[in-house]
Amino acid sequence: MKKKSRPANSVPPDSTPPSSPAQPLQARRAEMVPLLVKSIKDYAILLLDKEGKVLTWNAGAERIKGWKANEIIGQHFSRFYPPEDIARGKAEEELRTARDEGRFEDEGWRVRKDGSRFWANVIVTALRDENGQLLGYGKITRDLTERREAEEKIRKQSQEILEMATVPIVQAWEGIVLVPLVGMLDSQRTQQLMERLLHRVTETNSPIALLDITGVPTVDTQTAQHLIETISAVRLLGAEVILTGVRPVIAQTLVHLGIDLSNVLTRSSLAAGLRTALETLNLQVAAKQ
Amino acid sequence: MTAVSQGEIQIATESDILLARRAVREAATQVGFGATDVTRIVTAASELARNTFLYAGRGTMHWTRCELHGREGLELKFVDKGPGIPDISLALQEGYSTGKGLGMGLPGAKRLMDDMDIQSAPGHGTTITVKKWRKT
Amino acid sequence: MSDISVIRVRDLLMVTLPSDPDDATVSALQHQVLEAMQKREPKGVVLDISAVETLDSFFARTVAETAQMVRLMGGRTIIAGMRPAVAITATQIGLTLGKIETALDVDRALEMVARGDGNIGGQK
Repeated sequence: MKKKSRPANSVPPDSTPPSSPAQPLQARRAEMVPLLVKSIKDYAILLLDKEGKVLTWNAGAERIKGWKANEIIGQHFSRFYPPEDIARGKAEEELRTARDEGRFEDEGWRVRKDGSRFWANVIVTALRDENGQLLGYGKITRDLTERREAEEKIRKQSQEILEMATVPIVQAWEGIVLVPLVGMLDSQRTQQLMERLLHRVTETNSPIALLDITGVPTVDTQTAQHLIETISAVRLLGAEVILTGVRPVIAQTLVHLGIDLSNVLTRSSLAAGLRTALETLNLQVAAKQ
Repeated sequence: MTAVSQGEIQIATESDILLARRAVREAATQVGFGATDVTRIVTAASELARNTFLYAGRGTMHWTRCELHGREGLELKFVDKGPGIPDISLALQEGYSTGKGLGMGLPGAKRLMDDMDIQSAPGHGTTITVKKWRKT
Repeated sequence: MSDISVIRVRDLLMVTLPSDPDDATVSALQHQVLEAMQKREPKGVVLDISAVETLDSFFARTVAETAQMVRLMGGRTIIAGMRPAVAITATQIGLTLGKIETALDVDRALEMVARGDGNIGGQK
């Protein structure tokens, strides 16, 4: 507060408009603070009594949590917690920490009036008078759901890249290796995968590789090019590739893009591909008599 | 252990192409490239060394270990005083060849390496520099 | 004069290439194979390249041309045992070896010839 008053004090008197003298506004500072708290929409700012019952409510609290002031004042703040947190007494523990250490900070799920959850950053501060007597608590909550979703998306994307690096190359049968592709294929992932597949074909001496694209959401020209390159490389080794899991939407896309896979053995499902592979190896699976 | 960080091979006969390949294989392995990248680099070196021999008759291949932003790599520089390349962009087109190659020499080497730079003027020879960076 | 071994196994020509042949050796390959085709009239040629570490465009072109010539002389050519790194590199620079047949190893190549079938080896 002291800091904020300094610039006002340093203003020369003659620059102040005569209609609004600095002094009265200074005097009304005390009124302004509650106004600020009340009208802030980005943060839920509220006061709790010593037991944790809600004393005040602001615009941000209403926006983030959904309750109107008259619906929530007087209620215990554990209303904002998911059942599992209530069960383990998380709300009480937060107050205890704030009381003993002055402050508590947390990031976690909180519940809105309608029962939906949001990802919150919560700071609880113990409020004491000049004698150190506990008056209650101040609680500031921010809704970080969007940020968390963005982080989650990035995490998921890197996970997908990792998954592709660790796509299993499975020995489906003697002489048949299977690659279940998942996610999008970019050039780096394809390069890695191609290397692993080629080594596996050589190591296991498998004349057939099933490349299953059931888990590939869409195929564009570049992806198709990567697939064709992989298939050519496998053929140079002396093995054949059967592209399986060509769903209707993928077949449509390939034709519309003018991608020619007529030299490639393709099947709509992995099962059909496996059947073709077994036939090629002169094997058959028959029902037990 | 101090590894050799650069070297040079004269390309004057057909069998020097083989010597260039061997030198590059050793250098690339020393830099720590994986088996597939070693094969890529050696194949590119073979194409470029053959180019030098076919079009200029003789020249030199320099190889240098290099570093950029903490990534290690290998640089190969082919220098000759031959007739030069009249149209570089044409020479980089697939299937274009004035000599006995498949027309894949330059474009093939370019695809196998990360960087390619060609300095050439008719009558003033050709310098082709290629680089490959190690994957981290 | 070269490191290439060309031996006749039953009605086939088995050609084994060294790991890093120079251009002269590669050129000699074509000559030796075609000579042997004429003298011994085999059904086909199995080219064992499992030791080959570098397949550049010159080498690939010679192999593709030789296979074409063998075909004109009434035989088939099967390339056996290409290394993964070599296959990746070849694909990247656009070498496809034309219509040449390939096999994972010499054993499967021999089987292909014996069965008279296509690109895919049979299960034993």
